[in-house]
Amino acid sequence: MTDAITAAGLVKTFGPKRALDGFDLRVATGEVHGFLGPNGAGKSTTIRVLLGLLRADGGEVSLLGGDPWRDAVALHRRLAYVPGDVTLWPTLSGGESIDLLGRLRGGIDPGRRADLVDRFELDTKVKGRAYSKGNRQKVALVAALAADVELLLMDEPTSGLDPLMEAQFQEVVREAAADGRTVLLSSHILAEVEALAQRVTIIRAGKAVLSGSLEELRSLTRTTVTVGLRDADGAVRAMGTTTGVHDPRRDDGHVTFDVDADALDAVLAALPAFGVSSLVAHPPTLEDLFLRQYGEELAEIKAAR
Amino acid sequence: MTTTLTTARVGALAGTRGLVRLALRADRWRIMVWAVAVAWLTVVSVRALDDLYASDTSRAARAELIASPAATALAGPGYGLDDYTIGAMTANELALWIMLPVGIMAVLAVTRHLRAPEEDGRLELVRSQPVGSAAPVVAGLVAAALAVLAVGALTFVGLLSTSLDPAGSALMCASVVVVALVLAGASAVASQLSAHARTASSLGMAAIGIAFVLRAVGDVQGPQSTSVWTWLSPFGWSQATAPYTEDRWWPLLVGVAATAVSVALAFVLAGRRDLGTGLLAERPGREHGRIGGIVGLTWRRQRTAIWSWGAAVVLCGGLVGVLAAQIADFVADQPALEDLFPGGVGGATAAAFALYSVFLAVLAFAYVTTAVGAARHEETSGRAETLLALPVSRGHWLGSQLALAGMAAVVMLLVAGLVMGLTAAASLDDPSQVRTLVGAAAVTIPGVLVVLGVAVLVLGVAPRAFAAVWAYVAYVGVMAMFGDLLPDGADAASPFTYLPAMPAEPMTWTPVVGCTVVGLVLVLVGTQGFRRRDLQG
Repeated sequence: MTDAITAAGLVKTFGPKRALDGFDLRVATGEVHGFLGPNGAGKSTTIRVLLGLLRADGGEVSLLGGDPWRDAVALHRRLAYVPGDVTLWPTLSGGESIDLLGRLRGGIDPGRRADLVDRFELDTKVKGRAYSKGNRQKVALVAALAADVELLLMDEPTSGLDPLMEAQFQEVVREAAADGRTVLLSSHILAEVEALAQRVTIIRAGKAVLSGSLEELRSLTRTTVTVGLRDADGAVRAMGTTTGVHDPRRDDGHVTFDVDADALDAVLAALPAFGVSSLVAHPPTLEDLFLRQYGEELAEIKAAR
Repeated sequence: MTTTLTTARVGALAGTRGLVRLALRADRWRIMVWAVAVAWLTVVSVRALDDLYASDTSRAARAELIASPAATALAGPGYGLDDYTIGAMTANELALWIMLPVGIMAVLAVTRHLRAPEEDGRLELVRSQPVGSAAPVVAGLVAAALAVLAVGALTFVGLLSTSLDPAGSALMCASVVVVALVLAGASAVASQLSAHARTASSLGMAAIGIAFVLRAVGDVQGPQSTSVWTWLSPFGWSQATAPYTEDRWWPLLVGVAATAVSVALAFVLAGRRDLGTGLLAERPGREHGRIGGIVGLTWRRQRTAIWSWGAAVVLCGGLVGVLAAQIADFVADQPALEDLFPGGVGGATAAAFALYSVFLAVLAFAYVTTAVGAARHEETSGRAETLLALPVSRGHWLGSQLALAGMAAVVMLLVAGLVMGLTAAASLDDPSQVRTLVGAAAVTIPGVLVVLGVAVLVLGVAPRAFAAVWAYVAYVGVMAMFGDLLPDGADAASPFTYLPAMPAEPMTWTPVVGCTVVGLVLVLVGTQGFRRRDLQG
């Protein structure tokens, strides 16, 4: 399998600030790749480097087999971009903007355009200055998704969309992926990435702190179990001494704890002794992954208080 | 403590003081640069007049010259011409050129504080705080008024160092302040009409243009503010104070009243509309677009600006042509003046046409600067990012916009030259003027290239310093009007120092080719810089 995007040791500085500090990224052709990180971690800077809008100060980057800075125009024929904060021409209607962007790309499929306008319920007659944030976002989404391209670069594309439109967005991205397109989806909304991405890269302070398939990442972390028990006190004591169980805590008749994947067998075997009345277990969410990566920072914040 | 806090936070004016402080903080450098530049130029010009016109005879000759219609159109109502002191000269010839930039500053400051924050959504954030509904409007106006007062006060302080009578200087600076306040009031009304800062400031600029033309027509028709046209213009009111000669304060009351009325109107209008809207209704656009490229897009974005700047330039050219006969009659009636113009009547009209051609060219330069500034705005707004993420090269994106701006400026100048030539040919009964004046307009075109080059260079190399381009255009304008009053060499960076002042001077090719080459090199270097740098929001 070839890679649509590879970046190694990317460095980009703005004055004294190192926005990217040896960042690595690998996006395989045909996958939906989640790109996660808090605000200011370097997501947008990375995407702008990939688009050749910014020139990296160091490191290597390759996009669809080319150099994003040198071969910008040729590469842009094969990709589409959705910015996180779309600004439109104030006097152009949404429809005019979509058609302009389509023509600059070399043509637009009218059927596809009409279908997307319909699905996103976009009023194309409104002037750019009169659109709300969510509607501006829809204009950019229609323009990008109507294009026949190999790669979609999306920088927090759903900001400002309502939940119905977000669901619509997810469906459209799934279709794009089914057509064999590669998608790089930056977001800080974990549920969205979890729903769409096969692999994720987590960026923090300009460095990739974690990268892999969702399965791999999940196995790195713990399942959270909440059990209703007749003998909650006994269970808390017992769980406290079991290896692979973390942070047991009691809330009335319920006990909640986190379990390493390889300790699940032992825990499930031990629980019936305390009289189980209910049981909820959920797999690690990206949120947990995320919090684990940032746990350090949270601990620092707590310590500072 | 609690009570003062509560009382400070209720009412339509709550939070005004904080907003004024914020506005002044954001503007402090801008205000300082305007104040220092206006005050310094005023003082330097007055001192230069003092040196140049030390003798009674030279001042009398200047008075005769300035009484000509062509000069009057660009000067003032002509008080004190029979005893043309330096004070009278300052009030008659300089005051208008102090009022004009300060008025522009006031218009821009008002739209910047009243409309721009509402358009980009900052105001929504501010209004969600314990801030009264009228506070942003009041704060914007107060900030603009304080800026105007700062410029007026510093100019007055500067003038104390000259030989001029302090009482007259106080009146002249007050006149400058009042005319700027009137224009600020008009701009406040414009800010309620349109939902867009750009349209609002264009309306304000149009108001300045109309006021300027009204007083020019009035002063040519009736000296010493006797024409009704003069009294329709805020410039006319402020010039009717006749500082250093009649020293009348009462005409300022007209301006103060007009300011009060327009500000009240702005408040009424502001109360009748929702946040983020204008009173001029928004029409829906097309469902499908026909724009196919960057040139088409640029034309769509710029067409209003091109038509309005073009109309201004062409109208000015026509006005000059119409006045040509009066210039000629005037010189013919005044044999004493022929000493000043070696070419006699023909020489006098040629000199006037040369000066006006430069004036038209400076207007075209200002248009070019707005056009390149609009390209920079595309970049800061993020729209350039959207386009450059498409298969559109940076050279194509910038080049299309530059080509359209340059061509529009050239067409504007040539049409203005043609119209000036046709009207002059009719009023002087001399068909050869058409060719002469189209040529005079054409010879300023290399200047357009130089200004375009400076603008592109700044855009490509130091985009955050784009205001420097405006400083350069202002410099070229000041040098063209007052270069001979300023120290030698001060005008070295202006293209008009080298280009032949046609039709007063014969055509020479070396400076034309030289300026063209300099302009092209600057454009190329700037474009190269833009292609190599990061996109900067």
